[in-house]
Amino acid sequence: MADLKDGKTTGHQWDEEEGFPLQEYNNPLPRWWLYSFYATVVWAVIYWVLYPAWPLADGFTKGVWEWSMYKELKQDLDAVAVKQKPFNDRLEKLSLKEIASDNALLQFAVSGGKAVFGDYCAPCHGGGGVGVKAGGFPTLADDDWLFGGDLETIRETITNGRSGQMPAHLKSAGGAFSDAQVDDLTQYVLSLSGKSKDAAAAARGDTLFRGEAACNSCHGDKGDGSLKGTLAGGALPPVGAPNLTDAIWLYGGDVQTVRESIAKGRTGHMPAWGNESASRKLSPLQIKQLTLYVHSLGGGK
Amino acid sequence: MIKHESIEKNVSLMIVFTLVAIAIGGLVEIVPLFFIKSTIEPVKGMRAYTPLELKGRDIYIREGCYNCHSQMVRPLRDEAARYGHYSLAAESMYDHPFQWGSKRTGPDLARIGGKYSNHWHLAHMEAPRSVVPESVMPAYPWLRKTDLKYDDIEKRMQVLSMVGVPYTAEQIANAKKDLLDQASATADASGLTKRYGNKVPKDDFDAQSDRVTELDALVAYLQMLGTLVDFSSYQAQTR
Ligand code: HEC
Ligand code: HEC
Ligand code: HEC
Repeated sequence: MADLKDGKTTGHQWDEEEGFPLQEYNNPLPRWWLYSFYATVVWAVIYWVLYPAWPLADGFTKGVWEWSMYKELKQDLDAVAVKQKPFNDRLEKLSLKEIASDNALLQFAVSGGKAVFGDYCAPCHGGGGVGVKAGGFPTLADDDWLFGGDLETIRETITNGRSGQMPAHLKSAGGAFSDAQVDDLTQYVLSLSGKSKDAAAAARGDTLFRGEAACNSCHGDKGDGSLKGTLAGGALPPVGAPNLTDAIWLYGGDVQTVRESIAKGRTGHMPAWGNESASRKLSPLQIKQLTLYVHSLGGGK
Repeated sequence: MIKHESIEKNVSLMIVFTLVAIAIGGLVEIVPLFFIKSTIEPVKGMRAYTPLELKGRDIYIREGCYNCHSQMVRPLRDEAARYGHYSLAAESMYDHPFQWGSKRTGPDLARIGGKYSNHWHLAHMEAPRSVVPESVMPAYPWLRKTDLKYDDIEKRMQVLSMVGVPYTAEQIANAKKDLLDQASATADASGLTKRYGNKVPKDDFDAQSDRVTELDALVAYLQMLGTLVDFSSYQAQTR
């Protein structure tokens, strides 16, 4: 308390209690702090001059450097485009087949496709196209194809999207068949992969499949999905009816899921990425890269 | 120069200086708002949200989706590659409050519309890890089980029109009908498209044709996000 008497206080005394005057120190700010503060003030003024800063009635001061994030973005994108140009030019010019036969170029295309796939496709088809747990999203890494695994068909799928239309069959869901008939059809479908436990029901379903229910018009006479692109001699868009005879299921191969597929129908939807209706449009070049990537996943034909 | 002491000891002077200081701060914050129109780009396609989307947006806010998702694509190269065109001010013109956000535990959702199918959103909201195994997003299974409450929809639209959302009297009068039409795959939607344009996403979003649930509204909202502005008509200004 000794230095209270040194005259370092503001001089104002608020109170005095039992001999202690309540006074306030008046220490000057440390020099380093003060000069740093002045420096920031000076910097602020420099900043106003160089960079966008003050709002005006119809815009803002642009700064003498005329810097903007939008310009910087454009420069960044242009720089990447210049770097990739030699490759991209060739990718654009060459056909899918030609690229596929040039190993170095194929590597470049596939790695580009892989990056795009991670963002746009993996949430439905799984990382690396290995499929997801939820039903209705096909695996792309096997050689079981709804629409086809050759380069051109894959490109067509990605560009224009696909819509699977499996009609509902149960009366209460808008179809034309009774509960018992749907059970029979279920048993028949299961029997195609050797999983039916009710031969009599499967036999009744067999008759329905090619008869009244005409499942074969989409799934093919053997239920093997071989009709995929050739409905009405190719005049109608391909339906993408799955092969029902193998162990690969789009929605699931247990009794309940198969029955649900038949009873209520299914409408799998693959968004379009390259035509007018695409809300997230990818460039033809990106689609080419994706096509080659998907084709490389193991099931390419 | 006025000494510290003379201000501190003079109450009236202190009040005057305090008011001046606050007024400067206030002006800097408030005046630009009068000119805010000039910062919104003129673009084609922006429209007010449909009643169903509006309800979906309310659920988005109620469930706190903004705690993990932003709706603001920044003008950076990696974001352009991942999400598409950077967000425009015009795109949140009718948002009260806007959902730009700053926390991104999950991806930005400003352009999620049309990226996935309704079926995917259904599976994802029910159990995110059934489609994205490494996801840390919580499941929202109750949305599909809860009927949407929309008896206040006209009032919601009226309030929004008071703060500048251009809902017409016709849109407000038809709110309930438009809401039900949009959530149905089969209903005649000519009224809805007349009032909100023919790009309106319309479907039985939750795959339960006999009811309209909160999930219907949320998915309708998500499927609209980022799809309104017609970017083929947008010329980036030099700004
Ligand atoms: C919203 C989910 C979703 C997204 C995202 C998605 N797909 Fe699909 N994709 C599907 C569905 C569903 C099908 C099956 C369509 C059907 O059921 O008829 C499919 C089918 C396909 C097929 C045909 C498979 C076959 O067996 O013939 C290919 C190839 C494909 N997708 C590639 C892609 C690529 C590449 C991307 C990324 C640009 C992508 N998909 C993004 C859901 C999606
Ligand atoms: C109009 C064409 C069409 C008809 C007719 C049709 N299907 Fe399908 N079916 C499809 C399509 C397309 C799919 C795939 C659905 C999807 O992509 O979402 C499918 C899917 C299925 C599945 C699910 C397969 C899986 O892998 O999970 C089963 C089971 C099935 N159909 C059985 C039948 C039976 C039984 C009938 C006759 C009662 C029938 N379908 C009639 C087109 C048809
Ligand atoms: C705890 C944080 C968290 C919350 C809360 C959350 N999410 Fe997510 N969300 C994520 C993560 C992480 C992902 C990425 C993985 C995935 O797709 O599930 C994601 C992905 C998504 C996607 C897919 C985005 C894309 O481009 O692939 C959508 C759509 C989505 N969330 C919607 C919602 C909605 C709607 C809500 C509110 C009901 C919500 N999220 C709440 C963390 C969250």
